[in-house]
Amino acid sequence: MSQLVYGIVTGILFGFFLQRGQVLRYDKQIGALRLLDMTIVKFMLSAILVGTVGIYLLHDLGLAKLSVKSTILGATIGGGLLFGIGWGLLGYCPGTAIGAIGEGRWDGVWGVLGMLAGGALYAEAYPLMQQTLLSWGNLGKITLPGVLHVNHWVVIPVFIIASVGLFIFCEKKNL
Amino acid sequence: MGELRDRNYWSPYFAGACAGLVLVLSVLISGNYFGASTSFVRSVGLIEQIFSAERVAQIDYFVKTTPKIDWQWMFVAGVLLGSFVAAKTSGTYKTQAVPDMWRDKFGSNVVFRGTIAFLGGTVAMFGARLADG
Repeated sequence: MSQLVYGIVTGILFGFFLQRGQVLRYDKQIGALRLLDMTIVKFMLSAILVGTVGIYLLHDLGLAKLSVKSTILGATIGGGLLFGIGWGLLGYCPGTAIGAIGEGRWDGVWGVLGMLAGGALYAEAYPLMQQTLLSWGNLGKITLPGVLHVNHWVVIPVFIIASVGLFIFCEKKNL
Repeated sequence: MGELRDRNYWSPYFAGACAGLVLVLSVLISGNYFGASTSFVRSVGLIEQIFSAERVAQIDYFVKTTPKIDWQWMFVAGVLLGSFVAAKTSGTYKTQAVPDMWRDKFGSNVVFRGTIAFLGGTVAMFGARLADG
């Protein structure tokens, strides 16, 4: 029960910041895919930077468990390509389609209905996917520090510097 | 216009950093990472159970991803509420069926936008589930 309360409170806060950052907009999402407006890239990378540093700190202090998903090349590449096509057509991802409805952009409703249909289709196709894409190139639960055999605090500063470099580039180009 | 935007919206860097902080606190306090697409599949299972619970019980994917309302489902519902509150309190709530950029390229036909949005949602969710996103 308390997990459900944590869920809705966390969602309200996250949805609030998504809206204030303007990342729920079709124009911003498609703007990023067309390389015209990097608002959502700035938002996502900022969130990832804070999240990466915070969660690895918690992990090192023994206060959090990392959530690493398996890298299955067939599923990740195939799924990523399909997701990209669908995202480009809809202009929202699953979470932002819901958020877009919250700020009155109700074309998100069609997207959500489509996503329910997509989920139903996937449940039917799952046995076939298990025999094919989900069994091709399973690399297990790999991470960048693990593959490079270095401590995560070697990778994190490089990631921060690269991100800040990208931010400076975006601001210079007015993206 | 520029001034209005500054008053009603936050810098994406600041809003993003706040979102990142919410994630860190969520992991610390309740042990949950953010996600959305699993909840769509759980919802599909809940809807299909209305028509045939026996059939749902036989589908492998619903055995693995149990149809139920959990932390993430409430998180997704919270995003809807949080977005509504943020939009209403900043005066940026606007009822719109066709986004501006779409209208400029493809016109203001609601059915056309709806059809493509539906198809896009279908393909995107299939891909998201396949990649376990």
